Amino acid sequence: MGVSGIRGSMAEETKRNGKPETSHRPETDPKRDDKNYYGIPPIKRAHWTWQIYVYFWIGGIGAGSHLLATIGHLLGWKDEAFFRTTKYTTLAAMTISPVLLIWDLGRPERFLNMLRILKLRSPMSTGSWALSVFGSMSGLVATKQAAEDGLLLGDNFASRLAKLVPDRLVSVLALPLGLYVGAYTGILLIATSVPMWARNWLLMGPTFLSSAVSSGLSWTSLVLHLGNWGESKTLGALKRAERVVLVIEAILIAASLIRMGKWSKPLFSKKLGPLFVGGTLIGGIAAPLVLLFGKETRERSILASVLVLVGGFLFRYVMVVGGRESADDPESYFSFAKKDGGRPEVSGEGSE
Amino acid sequence: MATGFLTDTTVCIGCKACEVACKQWNQLPADGYELTGDSYDNTKQLSGDTWRHVAFIENPKKKRLTGDVDLVALAEDVKEDLPNGAELDGLGRWTFMSDVCKHCVEAPCQQACPTGAIIRNEFDNVYIQPDVCNGCGYCVPACPYGVITSVPEDGRAFKCTLCYDRQIDGLEPACAKACPTNSIMFGEVEELERVAEERVKQLHDRGYPQAFLYGTPEVGGTGGIGGNHSKFILMDVPETYNLPENPFLPQDKVAGATVASAVAATVIGAVVAWAFRG
Repeated sequence: MGVSGIRGSMAEETKRNGKPETSHRPETDPKRDDKNYYGIPPIKRAHWTWQIYVYFWIGGIGAGSHLLATIGHLLGWKDEAFFRTTKYTTLAAMTISPVLLIWDLGRPERFLNMLRILKLRSPMSTGSWALSVFGSMSGLVATKQAAEDGLLLGDNFASRLAKLVPDRLVSVLALPLGLYVGAYTGILLIATSVPMWARNWLLMGPTFLSSAVSSGLSWTSLVLHLGNWGESKTLGALKRAERVVLVIEAILIAASLIRMGKWSKPLFSKKLGPLFVGGTLIGGIAAPLVLLFGKETRERSILASVLVLVGGFLFRYVMVVGGRESADDPESYFSFAKKDGGRPEVSGEGSE
Repeated sequence: MATGFLTDTTVCIGCKACEVACKQWNQLPADGYELTGDSYDNTKQLSGDTWRHVAFIENPKKKRLTGDVDLVALAEDVKEDLPNGAELDGLGRWTFMSDVCKHCVEAPCQQACPTGAIIRNEFDNVYIQPDVCNGCGYCVPACPYGVITSVPEDGRAFKCTLCYDRQIDGLEPACAKACPTNSIMFGEVEELERVAEERVKQLHDRGYPQAFLYGTPEVGGTGGIGGNHSKFILMDVPETYNLPENPFLPQDKVAGATVASAVAATVIGAVVAWAFRG
């Protein structure tokens, strides 16, 4: 059988184990098939490093805390410890967030270019604007709080000026932007060609928002418990809210996983699976819910809050890192970018 | 006037003159001497430093020719039964494809760019203004073809400029100029479409019904991209060339996702308010 016969016998003699070989035989190359090109990813992953998922987490806590402070104001709460915690948390989060984001830029000195234009179809653009404006507004609110707490070095001009800030009005006006800061991180992910993210376009924003609010609630509850500060009425309210928001988050994550279908594979990979299932699903949602619905003790509340915060961080970590794995998988992208593949809701303009 | 490329993979001989010309003209650094070990393609893919990439597609589906066959007669397209049921599949067996930025009509990278660095220039090409880009990297996962890439040493994202500087001076892009077989054609998009249509028809008449034009609204636009200004004549399914069958415009989902998030925000806000009231 001439050449093909020789090739066949050579293929039998050679041990493969998936390692590249010195001789090149396209017929038997395990990487070579008609479905992709030597397994080289057809799309490129985002370069985003650790600053991004840390920002997703901290920004979420800040956004969630602002929601709590605003609702507390609207309901006429008087618990000073609660307002201090939430307002200073938002201030701190909105101070750290831009630092992380600018750090991650390839050209950090050009960060202001983000604000030279507003593009409604680019979540990176709308998010930058929302973060800037919301950060400034929450800064105003926190400054008034600081003035009232006497942190602006006593009764000086700055302190008197800060006390003039209509903090309730500013808080309410900033609320939509704050909620957007909590949600847009999810929208940022779906507006890409990465199959795992893009597939879950409807629920990614809501899921990130629910996680932001649950993290904000847990953080506030944790701080109040640790400092023995909050009124018991406040702590009870936080607990009730944590329960419901965690249930909403669980439903949204479950629906997201159903929606992602086979494209959710990276979330259950050897590396990310334990973190996602153990850290987010069991440790970050199921276990805190058991603790929150059980007997009420300070220790249980603290443990539940810590678990929610860790779970929220791991959720963002596996989502960002899982997106890298998803982008690196040719089969995943090609099956998604098919005419009748992953996107049934796209109306066909015409077929061949 | 929109300009673009037409890359006819059927006449590409894999000489890589386009890769070299592109690197030289645009002063792009070398990719190093890494060997893939599983193909003759050691460039692997487009990147921020490689704006033209010749893919080496080995298609071993058909059996090899064996026995006493008149190769000259075969090359002259004499159809006759071959021994052992073998077939000669000249175009399908060993294919090259010079890949490049697709210059999408509705470019996802351009829509993703938060700084407005990525624009459409006067030739209707998708162009990154290097003095504006701040290296956020959001265009990279947005690209449905894996073209635009961040360069870590520089910080910014880069891709084919369609030789904007040469076009301004009335020259054709370096890759098209260097191509010895005219596999890479440069010109007005409408004119190139006419050329492509003719060539695909010619290929069909010669017995290659699988030939088709990639980058038309049917292939590169049902998801909202609206087609490509660099098109390709392909002889196999797009995945063989590492191209998606039906790319989509990611930003089409932003409005819906924002509305969904607004609804979720209302519900979650109401739930927290309810819980806080006790």
